[in-house]
Order: sequence, then C-alpha cells, then structure tokens
Amino acid sequence: MEKGNGSPIDTSQLLKGVLDLAVLAVLAEQDSYGYDVLRRLRDSGLDGVGDASVYGTLRRLYQAGALKSYVVPSDEGPHRKYYGLNDRGRSALDQSAKTWGSFTRALDQLLNGRSTGNAR
Amino acid sequence: MPDSKQAIDVAGYAAAVRAALTPLPEAERESLLEDLEDHLAEVASESDVPLQERLGKPEDYAAELRLAYAGPGATTTRRRLLRDTVRSLISSMSGTKTYREVRAILPDLRPGWWVLRAYLAVLVLAFLVRDGHNLRPVPNPFSSFGLLQILATAAAIVVSVRLGRRGAPARIGVRWAALAVNVAIALLTVPVLASMSTSHPYADSIIYSSDPYSSAVAAGYYYPGFTNIYPYTKDGKPLKDVLLYDQNGKPLMPAKSGVMTDYPIGADGQPIPNSYPLNQRHPNGDPILPPRVALPPTSAPAASPAPTPTP
Repeated sequence: MEKGNGSPIDTSQLLKGVLDLAVLAVLAEQDSYGYDVLRRLRDSGLDGVGDASVYGTLRRLYQAGALKSYVVPSDEGPHRKYYGLNDRGRSALDQSAKTWGSFTRALDQLLNGRSTGNAR
Repeated sequence: MPDSKQAIDVAGYAAAVRAALTPLPEAERESLLEDLEDHLAEVASESDVPLQERLGKPEDYAAELRLAYAGPGATTTRRRLLRDTVRSLISSMSGTKTYREVRAILPDLRPGWWVLRAYLAVLVLAFLVRDGHNLRPVPNPFSSFGLLQILATAAAIVVSVRLGRRGAPARIGVRWAALAVNVAIALLTVPVLASMSTSHPYADSIIYSSDPYSSAVAAGYYYPGFTNIYPYTKDGKPLKDVLLYDQNGKPLMPAKSGVMTDYPIGADGQPIPNSYPLNQRHPNGDPILPPRVALPPTSAPAASPAPTPTP
C-alpha cells in the first residue's frame, strides 16, 4: 500500500490528512471534550479514527491557538476539558473546507469521467 | 469495573504512554499529556474492558499520539527517529558527573569565545583578502594594513560581545543562523591557521633543489647571482685560468644563463667548469667582452692609475 501499487485506499491514510478538518467541523457544531469528539466522529461514519489521534490533534490545535479550552466539573466521573473554536479556528476551518471542497470536486469529476473542462 | 480498579488501569496505562514518549522534549511532552489521565478516565468509564484491550498497547498509543500531535505534514521518518535517538543519548549523557561539571564551566567561557570569535573572524577575513601569499598574525602593526587590522579587530570584538550579551535570538531561524556563523568561524580558522604555520616569509625567494639551475651536478654546484668571474691581481693584472672552489671544495660554477661557454679541456678529456674567466659567447656567436672595472688604488705608485684591462 505504501508503495502505491494500486491497492485499495487505506482509510486511516486518508484520515491523516483531513483529521484536523474533521475535528474542527465537529467542534464548530458544538464545544466538546476529547472522548466526545471521538464518539461524534465515529457516529458520523469515520470508524477508523483512533483515540490517540483525536486526542493528539486536539492538543496540537490548541497549542497552535486555534482552540479555546475550559474545564467543566462533572458530578460523576472526571472533570472534562472542553474544546471550542476561536476566531482563528473558525477561519482555519473555512480555509480548509474550501480546499477540501475543490479537492473533492476535482476528484469526483475524475472518477465520473467528466473532467472535460466545463469547470472552467 | 469498580472505580478504584479503573483508576489503577488509567494510571498504569498513562504512565506507560508517558514512558514511551520520553524522547520528546519535556515541555512538548507536558503540553501533549496535560490532561491525558482525564481523557483516559473518560474512555475507561465507558466500558469495563481494560484500556489496553480497547486502545491497544501503550507504545502504539503513544506513537499515534505523537504523529497526531506533530500534524498531518509530519511522518515517522528516519530523521525523526534519529533526532529522538540523539536526544535520548544526550539525556543519558547529561546525567553523568563529568557532563555536569563541563556544563557548569561553559557559561564562564562564553565571554572568552565572544572575543576569540571576533578575532578569528578578522583573521579569516584578512586571509581571504590578503594581497601577498603569506599571512602574518593579525593585527600586525608593521604591515601596510596594520592600523586597519587593529581597528577591525577592536570593532569586531565590540560587536561580538554586544551580540553575545544580548543572549540567544528569540526567533528559532535566527538562532540557527547564529549557531551556523559561530561554527563556520571556528571551522574556517582551521585551514587559515594551518596555512600560517607552513608559510615562510621568504618562501618565494628560496630556490628549491627541484630547480634545475640549482640542482647538484656531478662536478659541483651552479651558484646563482653571477655568470662569470674576472680575477685581477692587486696591481691590476687580469688573471687567466684561475680555478675557483667553494667552502666545501666544490668547483664554483655560475648560474646557467643564455650564454654559451667554451670550457677548457683537462688532461683527462673532461671540461674544466671552474676555470675563470670563462670563455663565453653570446648565442649569436659574438664573444662576450669583459666588463670595465675600477680597481681600488694601491700604495704602489706605479699602479695608481687604474688600468682598464683589455684582454
């Protein structure tokens, strides 16, 4: 698969590139804590996403200044660290969504055999 | 799963993840793992299945964590692996007593390096723009650029020390550039110093034995600086067929020049190379006339008018 010899696409490889976008999109919907983000990603069909990947991505986006964070005490179980988008995170999401959109359009056209130049 | 058992599970798993991430710098690791325990507790509370069964081995979890934390552009390349190996080597080395002692001295040596690097920078610069072939230690007050060298050295020291006192640059790129300049100065000094130690001030005027004109020949040596010798007695009589030898008893022979010499032949049939004055001709065949000489006045009245010898 790594050699690109035409094997089926590995979803986890695809996810690597777009996990930021997915996490930002989930948080744009609603502020959330680590495990909840994971659950919502899986609920929306991204089964292959790993717990550590989500946690690491959240920490990185937070370190990069794209997320705000606050702790919510919980009666049963541990305190939860919630993450939400700040302005920087929102603009990052907008930017990435546009890139993703044009990327998928191009790929869709290729796959449907309709990349005949009517895009221009 | 009871709460206490769960807590032990979480603590153990988190500790194993932490341990697997030791190659990371302290600050990076802490900011990554800040709420790992809380997060794992959240995961654990969802189910009674032990974490290791749900999340996999702590080492794999740590690897995935790092990859995600490094971002989509990063990969677990060999370079990263190398960096981690170097880091853990350094961290194991930094535990030794010798390292700590050396490390403690280093800050005191800094100002010394600031002065030295300024001097070396001028030295390297002087080497690069040197006019002759030889480089003397800089600043050299007796050279034509002596004053300039002194001023340049002083100015460089002032600048270097000021830069040094300012501390490490805030921007990482500038910091790397500064490090590169320091290393470059240190490395460039090596060939400069090496060339200084071997260069001789008169290297150019020494005639090495590889020079055909000075190389030993069977009978004697060719001496540079003259092509013929005209001996006279003190009362002004030119002498002929005078055999000259040097301090080593070797026949004295002039430097080779463009002229042709007819050597007298000895009884053994060999030419006699040191019989002066030599009988010489120009390349076109014309004989070379002896020079006019002014002999010193002697006490003998008969010889007081300086003769003009014409052989």
